[in-house]
Amino acid sequence: MTENIVIRRMKAEDLDAALDQVIRLKRLNAEFDSIFNVAEESKSDFRDHLNEALSDGDRYIVLVAEAGSKVVGLVKVDIHTRLYYKPKYEARIVEFYVMPEYRRKNTGKLLMDELYRILKERKIRLITAEFPSLNLIALGFYKGIGYREVVSVYGKMIEDDE
Amino acid sequence: MSFMEDLERTERYNKLAIEYSEYYKGKVRVVPKVPVRHLDDFSYWYTPGIAAVSTKIASDKDLSFELTGRWNSVAILTDGTRVLGLGHVGPEAAMPVMEGKALIFNFFGGVNAVPIPIRVKSQEEFISVAKALEPSFGGYNLEDIESPKCFTILETLQKALNIPVWHDDQLGTASIILAGLINSLRLVGKRMEDARVTFVGAGAANIAAAFLLDAAGFNPKNIILVDSKGILEPEREDMDVLMINNPLKYQLALKTNGDRVKGGIPEAIKGSDVVVSAAKQGPDTIKRDWIKAMEKDGIVFALANPVPEIWPDAAKESGAKIVATGRSDYPNQINNSLVFPGVFRGVLDARAKGVNFQVMVAASNEIANFIEDPTPDNIVPTMEDWELYPSVASAVASKTVEMKLARKTGTKQKFFDIASEIIQENRNIYMDLLDRNLVKPLPGVRKND
Repeated sequence: MTENIVIRRMKAEDLDAALDQVIRLKRLNAEFDSIFNVAEESKSDFRDHLNEALSDGDRYIVLVAEAGSKVVGLVKVDIHTRLYYKPKYEARIVEFYVMPEYRRKNTGKLLMDELYRILKERKIRLITAEFPSLNLIALGFYKGIGYREVVSVYGKMIEDDE
Repeated sequence: MSFMEDLERTERYNKLAIEYSEYYKGKVRVVPKVPVRHLDDFSYWYTPGIAAVSTKIASDKDLSFELTGRWNSVAILTDGTRVLGLGHVGPEAAMPVMEGKALIFNFFGGVNAVPIPIRVKSQEEFISVAKALEPSFGGYNLEDIESPKCFTILETLQKALNIPVWHDDQLGTASIILAGLINSLRLVGKRMEDARVTFVGAGAANIAAAFLLDAAGFNPKNIILVDSKGILEPEREDMDVLMINNPLKYQLALKTNGDRVKGGIPEAIKGSDVVVSAAKQGPDTIKRDWIKAMEKDGIVFALANPVPEIWPDAAKESGAKIVATGRSDYPNQINNSLVFPGVFRGVLDARAKGVNFQVMVAASNEIANFIEDPTPDNIVPTMEDWELYPSVASAVASKTVEMKLARKTGTKQKFFDIASEIIQENRNIYMDLLDRNLVKPLPGVRKND
């Protein structure tokens, strides 16, 4: 089923499929940790944000995996400027999703390979990935491809009596 | 039977169940099986002589199957989280049901089944208790454990233990469904590999049945499962949740439904040769029009109890050729009790280390072949078919030998003879106890009624 997977930049016509996959990813995060419950009412804002990412190629890279004429996976990267550290630019993966039947079939690797190629071309050497600490699937995936923990963000909800 | 008659029947049984439970205070007992003529006999049944037996077993643990009753002992394990249609009633309240199961095990299969409802807080704790009890038993029957926990517990224990582990709600039901389908397809002249099968409901039984059909030779791409969230397919919105919480259902979503049908029950049923429903009670869960949209000579198993998803008459009037239900007052009762006593007799006699889908397929074929001339109203045996149990046992035992799962060897005929003898001897003992009123007659009922 992955014989003809093509990796390419996201286009405007991919927005619906991309939005669907981003929401699937966010819902999966919610499964692991209720702090990530999805604001389902804000879907139009999600769409606006993806649109912005589409039009601002300097700050965002969004790649899709296409099988036939269908979008079956995506990776979205935000480019951060680091004030205090070297190297100056950091590419942070914030969305990474592959449709179930294209998993374990190299789709994720193809997406990553193309992302690395683009980053090298832009001379961005630092890549990070952001995901909920309790998302053990993501944790396993990134560890498996050589990533290590570099930043911790701790959180809690403030209770009424605090 | 009208709805009111149905209700009255249920109420009458409920009342009798409580009355008889109060009277008998338990349904099975432990009775010695060795002679005790004088106190000296205890010198080999117990100390000091018995130490030699312990020493022997300590040097070869498998001897526990030969020198103790382990070979014929099965634990009926439950956490009481999904008891019948009652839900999570807890282990104490599960006991009467497990005792009933033990009675069926013994009566039909000659198996010493011990009801063991346990108080556990998690599936990990369940697994750990089950592992700890393994040395005492020749097999486990898991019972009335909620889904999807039951899948993980079954899979983990099957991998970890050296005795067969069976979850009757999944495997027993799946086996009898397959047996019924084998004969149904024979009758309508359709082949397994071509048949389009729709499962309505994706609970423990239907999930196991879908895997079993795949193992038996049905084409998984021709199978569709539909549940309360719609037809299972790889792009369904809850796929990621299933991946985490219900991996077997997730696997089925990926491997079934080759045509990518989307929608609900009517879309799933349309064009099917077979509908197997284990879903919400009827009688209108499945509508007549949906059955009309099936292929010619439709096969409908409406298994919800006590009220099937569609009444058999309604299904037949809508074009179904063969209808089965979970009820004993209609033809073709799809009943686990036709399966598990024989399956356990077989795995115990072979001293099997495990059981798998191939063994289940062998059991289903044996049950189907037991009916010599199937008719639309006679696709599966009934519980009165005593010969069925040793037959199933022999098919199961010889299949475990073939699959190198057995500690013993033997032909199908040999295992048939062993099973028949054990079941017959057990029945003779029981009938003798009944004849002599050592098993007390039912209160208020004359003995021969």
